[in-house]
Amino acid sequence: MKRIGVFVCGCGTNIASTVDVDRVAEVASVMPSVVFSTSYKYMCSDPGQEQIKKAAEEHNLNRVIVASCSPRMHENTFRKAMSGAGLNPYMFEMVNIREQVSWVHSNKDEATQKAIDLIRMAVAKVERNKPLQVTTIPVTKKALVIGGGIAGMQAAIDIAETGHQVILVERSTTIGGKMAQLDKTFPTMDCSA
Amino acid sequence: MVAVAQHPNITLYSYSEVERVTGYIGNFTVTIREKAKYVDHDDCTGCGLCETKCPEKVKSEFDLGLGIRPAIYKPFAQAVPNKPVIDAANCRKLINGKCGVCEKICPVKAIRYDDQDRVFQEEVGAIVMATGYDLFPWEEAYGEYGYGRYPDVISGLHFERMVNASGPTGGKIKRPSDGKIPQDVAFIKCVGSRDDTKGKSYCSRTCCMYTAKHASQVMEKIPDGQAYVFYMDVRTAGKGYEEFYLRSVDQGAQYIRGRVSKIYPRGDRLVIKSEDTLLGKPIEVEVDLVVLATAMVPSAGSAEIAKIVGFSVDKDGFYQEAHPKLQPMETFTAGVFLAGACQGPRDIPDTVAQASGAAVKVAALLNKSELATEPMVANVDQSKCTGCEFCVPVCPYQAISMIPKKERAHGQVVERQVAHINKGLCQGCGACVAACRPCALDLDGYTGDQIVAEVDALCL
Amino acid sequence: MSVEATKAWTPKIVAFACNWCSYAGADLAGSNRLQYPPNVRIIRVPCSGRIDPLFVLRAFKSGADGVLVSG
Repeated sequence: MKRIGVFVCGCGTNIASTVDVDRVAEVASVMPSVVFSTSYKYMCSDPGQEQIKKAAEEHNLNRVIVASCSPRMHENTFRKAMSGAGLNPYMFEMVNIREQVSWVHSNKDEATQKAIDLIRMAVAKVERNKPLQVTTIPVTKKALVIGGGIAGMQAAIDIAETGHQVILVERSTTIGGKMAQLDKTFPTMDCSA
Repeated sequence: MVAVAQHPNITLYSYSEVERVTGYIGNFTVTIREKAKYVDHDDCTGCGLCETKCPEKVKSEFDLGLGIRPAIYKPFAQAVPNKPVIDAANCRKLINGKCGVCEKICPVKAIRYDDQDRVFQEEVGAIVMATGYDLFPWEEAYGEYGYGRYPDVISGLHFERMVNASGPTGGKIKRPSDGKIPQDVAFIKCVGSRDDTKGKSYCSRTCCMYTAKHASQVMEKIPDGQAYVFYMDVRTAGKGYEEFYLRSVDQGAQYIRGRVSKIYPRGDRLVIKSEDTLLGKPIEVEVDLVVLATAMVPSAGSAEIAKIVGFSVDKDGFYQEAHPKLQPMETFTAGVFLAGACQGPRDIPDTVAQASGAAVKVAALLNKSELATEPMVANVDQSKCTGCEFCVPVCPYQAISMIPKKERAHGQVVERQVAHINKGLCQGCGACVAACRPCALDLDGYTGDQIVAEVDALCL
Repeated sequence: MSVEATKAWTPKIVAFACNWCSYAGADLAGSNRLQYPPNVRIIRVPCSGRIDPLFVLRAFKSGADGVLVSG
């Protein structure tokens, strides 16, 4: 049985001022396999994530959709919340109704309709999601720093001080970069080299 | 600088460039070319005798042409490593075989005219980009400042070399044209910065402060000297910065709000035509030296190295951070981090802070013994795979190989080749899936079934 | 004879956007509050290389008026 929970975020007023989030949640509630839907001010906040957990338990959810900001922003946040709710983090889809709806459209009806369409699309997708397992890869404990100016030198020293090996590559014959060319530097007027 | 060279955990390759980067977060393979130095740095003691005897003299890049250097050289006395290299383009021995003075004179026989570039590979888990900046080439854009024709119109970095005690003038401010000490020095800010028509739209952030420093150095170092600063705004956002700027004003630096419209010579001096927008009047000032606060631009070659390492640059060519506020030292490529002015104009305190931040990101990564990978990768249904190998060249990450598969057919065991995905190398792009004709490949998380369902749901 | 444009009809556009460039670009358009018509619907893909020509045909078959592939 596919049991989907839909959570619509208002992002304060970032989304809610252009998208009627309550209406979106209402329409989503009758979409196929959706057994629970709600809207909330800030889904990414602790109470927001707690709602996912609570609803997952109460409604026996096995798939979750969050309609909020770009997945490039908070996909990992919600994947972790999925794990916290005892669900596979890949039984989750995110719908971008901030960067790609509320921030780029001003007509509330049209924006709301677009948000609904995007959620319908995510419902169709998440119905077909399969639980996926994370695998691991080894890490080479060595860093490369490209450029030996003040930035590269500082990064190299700080990494080296944590006990890791660092390779510093500088294209000119000396490190120091532009900084070595400077005289005293503001605001303390100490020497730069 | 010496701390870097002496740190037991740091291996320094100077005069070297990164040529190729393959692999992925935690597992990069880097190809480095160490250019021929023609001096064996293991044997060389850095005594500097060769530099004093070399007969060839060229303009010093380090001093921006204000001084000269020999063909076998260190850019400056405190260089790290403190050993010379031969500049092959200017060495008489390497050009036409006549000379060899350095070889004769070297007390430890460290000169190697037959030295070759050395190309080698290193395995690393993380990469920090710290390629810095260059100065905006104002000579190509600003005709009203003379397109670089007037020798006494110089950049802020030229000024730095002159006031530097170990610089070409020994710390004396001199006019490049005649070596005279200038009395009146004009500073022009925002040359190339905040200028959509001829330069860059952004503010270079450091110029207000270094110009304040330069103006105060003029007032300190030149008796009866006068500094004039032409500005659009004075931006001093930084701890102790406003106080520093006000100190230069107290010292007598004269700040004039207005854009300079023209510089032209009168006798051996330069006339600056501008407007004082606070008085609402055109003004004219005669000076001996003009110093331009030029914009910061990404360093030469920074776009090429970004392509080699595999991440993106922004509209101005600075390296694109993953998020301007939340991930300022990360790129969209996992395991590649940013430090300093390669990401955008910034001063030394901000650069140091960002570099330390990038170092923490690297340390956090290297402290892990293994990394979790995204499970959204391609997989093969080997029963459908026909072994056509179409997917192998399509994969940008070399993640697909062909392996033998034994199966029973018509009562016999037969062996055939089928595709195999290395899940560590696969980045989940799905290019192989689109290329697979028998539909044996699919991408977890973005299956054909899922995308078709999305299309249908949208087009309802 | 003049043909009046019907305001009721707007084309239905399906856009396939690569997660790493075009999709990020669409996000950037949002961050900069650039306005564009709402009749485009973006489908996120991991790379434009993932886009099977069949997806495009499917979109037209299901009623899309335009398909944008960007990556």
